[in-house]
Amino acid sequence: MAERDENKVQSVLPLSRIRTIMKSSPDTSSISNEALFLTGKATELFVQNLARVSMESSTDKVNVGYTDLANVVNSDENLQFLQDIIPKKIKAREYLESLKKSEEEEELST
Amino acid sequence: MAERPEDLNLPNAVVTRIIKDAIPENVNISKEARLAISKAASVFVLYATSCSNNFAVKSKRKTINAQDVINAMEDMEFEQFMEPLKKCLEGTQN
Repeated sequence: MAERDENKVQSVLPLSRIRTIMKSSPDTSSISNEALFLTGKATELFVQNLARVSMESSTDKVNVGYTDLANVVNSDENLQFLQDIIPKKIKAREYLESLKKSEEEEELST
Repeated sequence: MAERPEDLNLPNAVVTRIIKDAIPENVNISKEARLAISKAASVFVLYATSCSNNFAVKSKRKTINAQDVINAMEDMEFEQFMEPLKKCLEGTQN
């Protein structure tokens, strides 16, 4: 039990770095120490949650990869804010095909 | 690539440890996925800060406080974080 309490009170992520990121957010003036600590803790919880949901959605339960992550980011509503930084990958061939298709559709309509 | 004076990345070793503690021992997460999770964590901090700041501004304060962060979690649809965060806060106040 004592160990769990320790985990709750200690920060795993370096708070100096958390503060640097927070201060880079526009219009942020001051951050209380408690707010800094809680933001660090929330980020820990977030990393755990993201790892877990990626694993749960993976068909290969032993190996979790980028695709599993991109899939949950695409499907879970509360992860939508990550869609630009964790996009689904498509093969170059698929992309070129879809480009060609939209060009042809444009030609047809003009 | 220009050198940024501020490093907005979180240390990979720490992020890896948090990930490993969250999943069963026999499960592997690729390096690519771990790096993406680390980037996501930085973006999460920015998003949380922006939401927290909105609450502070609404209350006409210039300093973001603990309650602002907890309220931000609800706004961001991470309600499941609210109770654990409240417990963490209580832990530091004893």
